[in-house]
Amino acid sequence: MKIPITLKVNGKEYPLEVKANEILLNVLRDRLGLMGTKYGCGIGECGACTVLLDGRAILSCQTLAFTADGKKITTIEGLENDGSLHPLQQAFIDEGAVQCGYCTPGMILSAKALLDINSNPSNQEIKQAIRGNLCRCTGYTNIVRAIKTASEKIKNEGRKVK
Amino acid sequence: MSSTRVISLDFECRSPNKLEDALEALNWDGAQVLAGGTDLVNNIKINLTRPRRLVYVLGIPELDFIRVEGRSISIGAAARLSDIEHNRQVVSRFPALVEAINVIGGTQIRNMATLVGNLCNASPGADTPPILLALDAEVEICGGIGGAGIQSNRLPLGGFFTGPKKTVLKQGQMVRSVVLPSPPEHSGAAFRRLARVSLDIAKINCAAFIKRDGDAVQEVRIALGSVAPTPVRTPTIEKALEGRKKSDGLFQEAAELVEEDIAPIDDVRSTAEYRRQIASLLVREALQEAWKRAGGK
Repeated sequence: MKIPITLKVNGKEYPLEVKANEILLNVLRDRLGLMGTKYGCGIGECGACTVLLDGRAILSCQTLAFTADGKKITTIEGLENDGSLHPLQQAFIDEGAVQCGYCTPGMILSAKALLDINSNPSNQEIKQAIRGNLCRCTGYTNIVRAIKTASEKIKNEGRKVK
Repeated sequence: MSSTRVISLDFECRSPNKLEDALEALNWDGAQVLAGGTDLVNNIKINLTRPRRLVYVLGIPELDFIRVEGRSISIGAAARLSDIEHNRQVVSRFPALVEAINVIGGTQIRNMATLVGNLCNASPGADTPPILLALDAEVEICGGIGGAGIQSNRLPLGGFFTGPKKTVLKQGQMVRSVVLPSPPEHSGAAFRRLARVSLDIAKINCAAFIKRDGDAVQEVRIALGSVAPTPVRTPTIEKALEGRKKSDGLFQEAAELVEEDIAPIDDVRSTAEYRRQIASLLVREALQEAWKRAGGK
């Protein structure tokens, strides 16, 4: 059984036919070629597959693609704007918050979901927001600092967060 | 073969917009409800369950609610855990429920998963059943579509679980909502849990509700998870406490009776022995906190 759906990814519409058992993560990676979203544990423990669905952080490896029909999806590829990085992406580079990089896309999207509703989070709120994202290089200190830096930068520049 | 990357099992799916259509689609051998999917999708991946049809219910507007109904709060099957933990009514009336939800998974899981799903998954160690049992919650079960329309009945949560991963739900039925009676004055509730790290499933969890009459325990309900095939109430302790004046040793004394009410086993997360020993401590802490929140000294 093929189900016609439309995925709205990073502002672009993709009409697709999916099977009931197709996982959103695989559709994003294998069919749309958006490789930024990572496959980590596959069982909802690590957060590497995090994307935003209607603005909220969710796990794309736990989501059947047909349930995302018509919803707005943001992946890491959707964050840069005309070639300039999102303040979160820039802060991750500047603060050395990237080691192997595998957790980074999920980490940044969880952080974006937080900053979109809380422009001035405390360290505790940041830690709470990324609780579902594992970094096995253990760069948490730098990651938390990067998110803090980004929040200040966004505030100072009065820049509208996409 | 099981894989966590792709699902090889073939099944069909339905995405109804109305409860009526969902019930119709569920009345079919091998049909299962899909809500947030955080348990079900995993279980399909690792071959724990083999549905022939999934009926996705989060797109049904009439199930997506948290509302005050008279002296109760009713939480619909499509309400996500993160909606519930940030709902003002829930936060002000049921802080202990918010605490129990807050320890579940990471942000992403709580954005996806539902309270009703947590109940229907019927894990003996789930974090919300103990507090819902202590708060005297009911589930509203509906089914039976056809000429007669939707039939629904309410069941105290205590009668809902029948074993590990098992509930009273029959093919064609689903839970429409969880109903929480508003806590009376001079009452309080608390939640306690032990796990290795915060994201882990609990080794053991516990909740207590107390209604105070001056310095006496007027009404008390205690429930524990991960200590029996289903989440359980503790009739022995409750009987020992009801009507008693609060004294220094009362809660400790009563909590030590917990062994009468539980039957823990050894598993990957803990041992029966440890669970038996720690259960009374958790019960005592939950009682003390509930008493404090009830305004007691």
